[in-house]
Amino acid sequence: MIDSVEAYASKNAGAILQALWQHVEISLIAIIITIMIAIPLAIALVNRPKIGEVISQLAGIIQTIPSLAVLGILIPFVGIGTVPAIIALVLYAIMPIFQNTYAGLTHIDPVLLEAADALGVTYRFKLFRIELPLAMPMILSGIRIATVLVIGTATLAALIGGGGLGTYILLGIQTNNNDALVVGAVLSAVLALLASWLIKGLSKLSFKKLGIGVLVVLVLGGGAWGWSALTKPAQTITIAGKMGGEPEILINMYKDLVEQDNPKIKVQLKPNFGGTSFLFKALKSGQIDVYPEFTGTVLQSLVKSSQKVNSDPQLAYQDAKNDLNKQFNMRYLKPMAYQNGYAITVRKSTAAKYHLKTIADLQRVGNRLNGAFDPDFYQQSDGYPGLQKAYHFKLKSARTMEPSLRYVALADGRVDVTDAYTTDPQIRQYHLVVLKDSKRFFPPYQGAPMMTNQFAKDHPNVVRSLKRLSGKITTSDMQEMNYQVTVKHHSAAKVAKQYLTQHGLLSK
Amino acid sequence: MIQFSHVTKQFDGTAALKDLNLTIDDGEFFVLVGPSGSGKTTLLKTINRLVVPTSGTVTIDGQDVSKSHLQELRRHIGYVLQTGALFPNMTVEQNASIQLDNLGWEAQKKHERIVELMTKVNLDPAQFLHRMPSELSGGEAQRVGIVRALAARPKLVLMDEPFSALDPVSRRQLQKIVLNLHKQIDTTIVFVTHDMHEAFLLADRLAVIHNGVILQEGEPDYLMANPADEFVKRFFDVDNSNTRLLKQVITSGLGRPLTKQDNVIRLQNSQTVYEWAGLLEKNPTQLISVDGEVLDQSDLISYVADLGKESSND
Repeated sequence: MIDSVEAYASKNAGAILQALWQHVEISLIAIIITIMIAIPLAIALVNRPKIGEVISQLAGIIQTIPSLAVLGILIPFVGIGTVPAIIALVLYAIMPIFQNTYAGLTHIDPVLLEAADALGVTYRFKLFRIELPLAMPMILSGIRIATVLVIGTATLAALIGGGGLGTYILLGIQTNNNDALVVGAVLSAVLALLASWLIKGLSKLSFKKLGIGVLVVLVLGGGAWGWSALTKPAQTITIAGKMGGEPEILINMYKDLVEQDNPKIKVQLKPNFGGTSFLFKALKSGQIDVYPEFTGTVLQSLVKSSQKVNSDPQLAYQDAKNDLNKQFNMRYLKPMAYQNGYAITVRKSTAAKYHLKTIADLQRVGNRLNGAFDPDFYQQSDGYPGLQKAYHFKLKSARTMEPSLRYVALADGRVDVTDAYTTDPQIRQYHLVVLKDSKRFFPPYQGAPMMTNQFAKDHPNVVRSLKRLSGKITTSDMQEMNYQVTVKHHSAAKVAKQYLTQHGLLSK
Repeated sequence: MIQFSHVTKQFDGTAALKDLNLTIDDGEFFVLVGPSGSGKTTLLKTINRLVVPTSGTVTIDGQDVSKSHLQELRRHIGYVLQTGALFPNMTVEQNASIQLDNLGWEAQKKHERIVELMTKVNLDPAQFLHRMPSELSGGEAQRVGIVRALAARPKLVLMDEPFSALDPVSRRQLQKIVLNLHKQIDTTIVFVTHDMHEAFLLADRLAVIHNGVILQEGEPDYLMANPADEFVKRFFDVDNSNTRLLKQVITSGLGRPLTKQDNVIRLQNSQTVYEWAGLLEKNPTQLISVDGEVLDQSDLISYVADLGKESSND
């Protein structure tokens, strides 16, 4: 376990470090904004206890809303990405900082305040030399609570494309990659502990040193941000991908091709950006420019269509392209060759023993085989029930099983038949045989780049570069590349570059 | 000169001060004395506007305090609170120079002034300047409080029961220090206390306040001899108070004349028998002298035994 986590971490060190930095950045920005809102607010409301009480209650109520719901509520207003993530984090962190500052300021010994007044000190002297220093232990403990909260909650930013360590947790859950999950979870926990410890250390410093420290951090942070903003190339396009290795390989290919053909354009990648609806919304709102999507997904989840999905891949692509253009004013380029749809797999030995080639062959021997299926596949009419009807077969037994476990169970011989995605690397890893869908029961799933019509019009060169992949990459190519990335843990960028060079799409 | 004219203060409908008139002269050590809840602290606080009168005016040298710039007014008035009220986040020196900071004094001048005053209240600057308030005893903290009040050379210092929370020995020392300081500097001190003996010891003039009204004002001896009414009389009637003074021991006929061979500690007749008992506790054979009379351990026992007879006769 530890070895595999270590191996995973060292192979993905660059990306993990980037996610870690992103996590720190999101959390730090959120905390700084919260401090700048909550502390002045508390100072302003100290002498207005009624309003202070109301604000305190309000901040408390906000905090009881599950963070996921806050993110959901914010999407229609501010879209997805880092901004709504930071807004949600700020909303969350306001309560502990506000309440602690407020309590710290209102619990100062009244005798000291009377003394300050009686000595005729200025308002500024009273606030900065007396009230804030006396309230500082409480304020810092509020900041500490808020920081730990923010670092923990920031893992949810990944859900709406905000990046950070949550990307690895999400990736781990979705692809059942415990190494990724452990890396994400452990790093965010360590980060929270470290921050908490650091702030505790700060509380021992004097108020003056603390102020200077904050100023230095702000100036350095602002400078770094400004520098990076200034040095950005003139034209940057953003290409995102869904969770997992396969989309990451694809978008790396897009990047390589676009940047080779258009030296002036810089491509920014956002791998593991989120689920289908997040990506689609991000594309609509212009936060991302391009992402690869499957024809089957377009037809089933994105566009409204009364027809059943056409089983012919070419026609399905035409439908998807036309509907996207009409309904969303979007451009859907020609797909690559490979299919990443549902499939039925068996072990090589089973296939040999019973001479299994197509799903129809299950009619003969199905009653001798045990099946295990993904819970969704097991229930959907376009999954197992529909398949049984279309091919008229019956298995000895059929049950549901967690997606990644079903491969292991199949390889171990505990079950004989499972569903699969055609490009899953496990097919290669466990030497499985995919039974041919001769009746074309499963809808076609072909990947192709998607973008708005406006973007396509403004960037004809980018479109031309992306089109070079259409018809390329076979299912076995994809399977092999997925195997390299998710099982062998090679970097997606390297695997993508290798493919492109080997196929003459990229000059060395 | 501080003048209160027709000063009334109401808190939630009840009057803490009732149409009060009083004049305090420049350079006076003026004591406001009265039982708790009498309004003496409220009256003191109208001077630096910590309390704003419901009606009536308070003037300092003819200038109405309600029309003065608030911080400006306060920066030129020293203020000593009951508990020292030092800011726990600042050193002794920082605490003592707060008014100087706000008046914009130069660092060097500030330091010199604080060192000078620290020496006057018997606190070694080298030892105390950089201590935090948490490292001070109650008496030490209150000395710093006094330094803070005097730092800006104010013409007026207000003291609100500054010694009531201290132990008798520290209280005694601080009373002496304040009296000495007052003799050296040309400053008006308005001092609030509920302790009649303290009032007697310190006051040039005093005013007895009860239920928001000044019952009588004047020099201590005059008030003692001519109490205006029954309340003042009882307030000054030391025999009726629980405190027993050495003066009472002498007037009860105890003691013998002082001779040259006697190794005595001199005490004032306004000090209490408890302080005497404290000395005897440390050294049972210690002799004291009060007003030229020598008292020893047996005198104390006789005095206390007589007290018992007195109360059984009541």
